[in-house]
Amino acid sequence: MGNTLHPEYNPLVRKLDSIFPLRDDERQALLNLPMQIVVIKEGQDIVRAGDHPSRSCLLLSGFACVYKVTGDGKRQIAGFSIAGDMPDLQSLHLQVLDNSVSTLTPCRVGFIPHEALHDICERYPRITSAFWRETLIDAAIFREWVTNIGQREAYTRMAHVYCELMVRLRAVGLADDHSCDLPITQAEFADAIGASTVHVNRVLQEMRANGLIVTKGTQVTIPDWETLKRAGDFDPTYLHMRKAQAAA
Amino acid sequence: MTLTLQPARVATGFDEEGMLILDEGQRLVAVLVRLSDDNEVAPGQWYLEAGFGRLVGGGHPTFADLDAAQDWISRRLAHRS
Repeated sequence: MGNTLHPEYNPLVRKLDSIFPLRDDERQALLNLPMQIVVIKEGQDIVRAGDHPSRSCLLLSGFACVYKVTGDGKRQIAGFSIAGDMPDLQSLHLQVLDNSVSTLTPCRVGFIPHEALHDICERYPRITSAFWRETLIDAAIFREWVTNIGQREAYTRMAHVYCELMVRLRAVGLADDHSCDLPITQAEFADAIGASTVHVNRVLQEMRANGLIVTKGTQVTIPDWETLKRAGDFDPTYLHMRKAQAAA
Repeated sequence: MTLTLQPARVATGFDEEGMLILDEGQRLVAVLVRLSDDNEVAPGQWYLEAGFGRLVGGGHPTFADLDAAQDWISRRLAHRS
C-alpha cells in the first residue's frame, strides 16, 4: 500500500495527455489526487455488483475484466481492462454498481475517493470532459462487443478481440511493434466471446495454423496486422483514438 | 430414458469422431464429439458439440466417457420435462 506514484508512471496522466495536452495546473491536480495503491492477486473481485462505492479504481498494471453473472451462475465478460483504465468510473455518478470488476492477473490498483474526483471535476472542466469521454468510449466498446458476440462467428470474434487488445495495449505503451504480453486464459476468452473453452481452443489452433497469431507462453505476436484485421472484421473507429494509435 | 447412439463424423475442422444422440422418439437431442488428442483443453474427452430443445443453453460440458455423457443428457431431459 502507498500513495506515491512517479508522474511518468501515472497512466491516468499519460492517458489524458494523449487526448489533449494537459496544462501544468491540470497535470499537477491529477498528480495530487489522493490514491491508495493496493496490489491484488489474480482472480479477485476489485468491486462487486451491488456495491455502493465511495471511490473509483485506476488500474495501474495488470489485466482485469468487467463482468456480470447470470441467475444460473454463468459469467459473461463484458470487457477487458488494462493499465490506465478506470473500469468503475461510472460509480462516480451511479450509486450502485450493476457489474463486477475482477483481476485476471495480479494487478496494482489505485483507489481514488469520489470526493477528490468530484473536486477535480469542479475545478477543471477539461478533466470533467475527459472523464465523460472515457465513459462514452467504454459504452462504445460495449456496443462493439454486443455486435461481436451477437453477429460474428467465433473465429472472427476471437480475431476481433485480439485486434482490440493489441490497439489498446499499444496506446498505453504495452505492446511492442505487433507483439505483447497477453496473459488471458482460454477460459477467460471463452467467457468474453460467448463460446466454450473447447471451441476457443479450436479457434486459437486454427488462428495459429493460419498464421494470424504466433504465441509463446503468454507472448503474442501478430505477423500480419492487415490480415488479422480482416479476419476480425475490425474497424478501430469505436475506440476513438488518434489515427496513428488506431493504425497500430 | 433410453437414448440411441449413432456414430457420425463431425466437420469440426479437426477430423473428430462424433455421436448423434437420439431420444426414445428418435429425435436428435445432441451431437457429441470425441475431441482430438491435439485439443489442449480436454484431449480425448467427449464434448457436447450441440444440444437441441431442452439442452439449449446448458453450456458445452465435456465427459470422460459416453456413459457419463448419456447420464448427463438423460438427467437434463428428465429434469425439465
